[in-house]
Amino acid sequence: MSSTKETFSQISPSEFFYRNRDLAGFSNPTRSLYTSVREFVENALDACDQKGILPDIYLSIKAVDVEQPDPKQYILTVKDNGPGIESKHVPLAFGTVLYGSKFGLKQARGMFGLGATMAILYGQITTNKPVTVKSNTDGKMQDEFVMLLDIQKNKPIIQKHTTKESSKIGLSVSIVLEGDYSKAGTKIRDYVSQTSLITPYASIIFEDPTGEKSHYPRIVKEMPPPPTIIKPHPHGIDVETIRRMIVDTHYQIPTVDNKIITKVRSELGLQKKNLNPAGILDRAQKRWSNLSRPVRTVIAMMSFLNLDFDGLSKIRIDDLDIANKKLTYWNFGESQSHLIELDPESPYYKQLANTVQGDTLHSFLTKRFQRVGPTTADKFSEFAKFKAEKRIGSMTNEELVRLSDALQKFEEFLSPDPSCLAPLGEEPLSKGIMKFFNPEFAAVIQRSASAYSGFPFIVEMGIAYGGDIPPKGIQVYRFANRIPLLYDEGSDVVLKVVNELDWTRYKVKGETPLVIVSHICSTRIPYKTVGKENVADRPELERELKNALQYLARKLAVHMSRQGMADMAKKRANLYSKYVPLIAQFSTELAGKKQEPNYKQLIKKGSELEEQQI
Amino acid sequence: MKNSKSKAKKTAELKKEKVLTLLQNHGLIMYNDLDQGKFPQFAVPSRSVSNIVYDKKLRQYILGNTSALRSSKNMSQLRSFTQLAWLAFFANKLIREGKTSTLRDIYYSSQAFAIDFEDQPESDNIIVDLEAILTSAREDFHIFPEERSSVFGDLTIEYTVPGYEGKRMNLSDHPDGYLIGPSLSSAELVDTSAELVIAIEKGGLFTRFVEEKVHKKFKAIIVDTAGQAPRSTRYLLRRLNGELGLPVVILADGDVYGEHIAMVIKSGSANAAHLRDLTVPDAKWLGVWATDIEKYKLPTIPMTEFDIKRIYELQKDPRYQEGNWKKQLEVFLKLKRKAELEAFSKYGLTNITDKYLPEKMELAKSL
Repeated sequence: MSSTKETFSQISPSEFFYRNRDLAGFSNPTRSLYTSVREFVENALDACDQKGILPDIYLSIKAVDVEQPDPKQYILTVKDNGPGIESKHVPLAFGTVLYGSKFGLKQARGMFGLGATMAILYGQITTNKPVTVKSNTDGKMQDEFVMLLDIQKNKPIIQKHTTKESSKIGLSVSIVLEGDYSKAGTKIRDYVSQTSLITPYASIIFEDPTGEKSHYPRIVKEMPPPPTIIKPHPHGIDVETIRRMIVDTHYQIPTVDNKIITKVRSELGLQKKNLNPAGILDRAQKRWSNLSRPVRTVIAMMSFLNLDFDGLSKIRIDDLDIANKKLTYWNFGESQSHLIELDPESPYYKQLANTVQGDTLHSFLTKRFQRVGPTTADKFSEFAKFKAEKRIGSMTNEELVRLSDALQKFEEFLSPDPSCLAPLGEEPLSKGIMKFFNPEFAAVIQRSASAYSGFPFIVEMGIAYGGDIPPKGIQVYRFANRIPLLYDEGSDVVLKVVNELDWTRYKVKGETPLVIVSHICSTRIPYKTVGKENVADRPELERELKNALQYLARKLAVHMSRQGMADMAKKRANLYSKYVPLIAQFSTELAGKKQEPNYKQLIKKGSELEEQQI
Repeated sequence: MKNSKSKAKKTAELKKEKVLTLLQNHGLIMYNDLDQGKFPQFAVPSRSVSNIVYDKKLRQYILGNTSALRSSKNMSQLRSFTQLAWLAFFANKLIREGKTSTLRDIYYSSQAFAIDFEDQPESDNIIVDLEAILTSAREDFHIFPEERSSVFGDLTIEYTVPGYEGKRMNLSDHPDGYLIGPSLSSAELVDTSAELVIAIEKGGLFTRFVEEKVHKKFKAIIVDTAGQAPRSTRYLLRRLNGELGLPVVILADGDVYGEHIAMVIKSGSANAAHLRDLTVPDAKWLGVWATDIEKYKLPTIPMTEFDIKRIYELQKDPRYQEGNWKKQLEVFLKLKRKAELEAFSKYGLTNITDKYLPEKMELAKSL
């Protein structure tokens, strides 16, 4: 009898992404080159946005060996004038997967900063060449790292680290990767040019493999206001998130170590004095209202266990059973478990109990979520059939599920706070569109904030008509969080909304020279796929898009009818000089005359009439 | 007979000259206006329902006095004015060159002259405008619809169309009959031995009548109207009646439509209220009457709702307010059933020619 033995082993995040690189947009040399460009450019723009710096981005793609046919090795370099990354963080930031600073709840182009390391990883596995990172944060010294990734250990291997004097603040990342520019080129050029449209405050230079430089100059000089990090909205919360929110607070019995002892001493004014437990409790009583929660908790423990600091540091609280009023602790010194009864009459009992059970539902709601006030919290408690005073730490699993469910369903919460969003703004968008398309007519609109499933979003849209726009029908430029979306447009919600509109009602028919620019800002764009190229049709989002589009279409219709009248006037201007000679020709033949009548006078009269009527 | 013959000889020629003169006059007026710096204009009789009235004296529908001015001074009418001028010019050419055209043809011909008709309905409309201005049917200026009606009998005609001028033809030479087309419409009617014209609604019965030698038995010219008689057919009937002095009798299905076919031959249609010379006021409707259905025990079929609606419509028409016309409508409405001409076949193929027709002809004398 033979048996197969399965081995289980943990894999590192790097390894996971190495094995699943298709998911992140690195499926083939064409797509990978495009995705890498995107990730680096977006990181650079995000870095500048966060510090309020007007971005200067330089992007270059160079073939390692020009003679070779595609796919081949390319050197991809992206340089920015952002804040740079401190020397000590560089290896971790670029040498490990899942190391990032973007975990807060606010709008940014990338989520988590995964993509850049993925690109580095992809470059390494296709060419076995290191990544070069140059960073300068202070305008004095520039650090240069040449690194490889240890995929299995998810750790950087620094091959070279040098410093040199430099006055230019910013970051430059350069990788070698296998790519296919002949196929990816069009998309990359589209990406860069469309990025310049939605980032009119940035200056972007793109040097392609042929050495040709495209420069997209800065169109507006003002940065749009930066987004702020905010608390979550109740609608965007699930059970697991609530559980984490309960745990990750200071509502825990603190471990008594030197740090907390120092804290207790300082709050009691006992830096230099040693008191016995009774003396400490006495002192704490007098200062109770000024003590912090962890200190109060330590004092409460002291009272029940009758231990001094030294004693407390040798035990570990294992369980606090509020229902049976029992406390279990482990004594390290004795290697023995103790169980003591708690006196519910003791003034310290409540302190301990509250600590373990955490906030009341009421204060949990008002303190931990955005835009929930006392009245709403009360109303919600009633709706969810919980007492507002209920300690959330005491909730059973079923109750937590019920709470989470009620948070989703309660409709009286204010809509999510849009201050975490960073729309471009009507003026920069309009300027971008004017510069980019040079149209005869353009209009923009920024809708007020709305939300789907607790995630706020804002729709910005622009319409441009005529001018330099080729008459190829309606072209749609889609953006999400200032990123151009170029692939999979067929299934996108914006396309759906544009196609469903009855354009004939707005005087648009046939091959009209028309452009629509749609920008969706959200803390979480509802992408349909991991590739982040098309947006799903959430009803709330669809409604906002539709309203924006209808508004713009109406503006266009007004323009079109004005223009139609102008055209008509132009047409009329030639009406008499067109028709009178014809009438003359026909009447001459009908009357059997040889010479045409002298109708010049009549044409003159006609044009006078025309002028009167216009 | 002789007298009418010599008069007939000139009819087609006269008509042609009349239309040409009308066209030239309009051309002259336009020409002079242009030369004097005046904006030329046409008065187009209004064809709206409110301007269509029944003239008891003429015994047909005519247009009232309302007419609209189509002026080249008005910017929004300038284009249609030019179209009208072009059509007059083009009709003049057609007549002078002895050529014919169709409605569709006109639409395409216009494109050679930068006269932008947007579609055929627009050009068709301008044609009716010109008819109204000249009070002449489009056939008079050589614009014909598709033809489908035909004629058979002892009638000698003389062509006037180019290439056939002076050529004569007897219309009893071909048993299928002769198509009433442009050349027949413009031909002179020379001679006939017939004493009667029988207009019949259906091609099948027309053939039966030829086979049964109705033209000989009744000394008749037989005309197949192929449903509602087209203008060229109505014009031919009028000429046979007017120029050759032949009485016209009509046989149609025994239903409300059959009755109205007879009425239109007799006194025209509202659609052609702007035209003259398309009616035969003395024409007689022989049948099939509603009262014949019971009298001859004809097999019937029930009327549809649409048929009944049509009866109510016609009851409002001034021409159906008295006499046999009124009576038959009422009987149809009472019966709510109808009979086709073919219904006589129940009593044998020749029943209609041997029995029904002679009886009705006898009756017609007293009508």
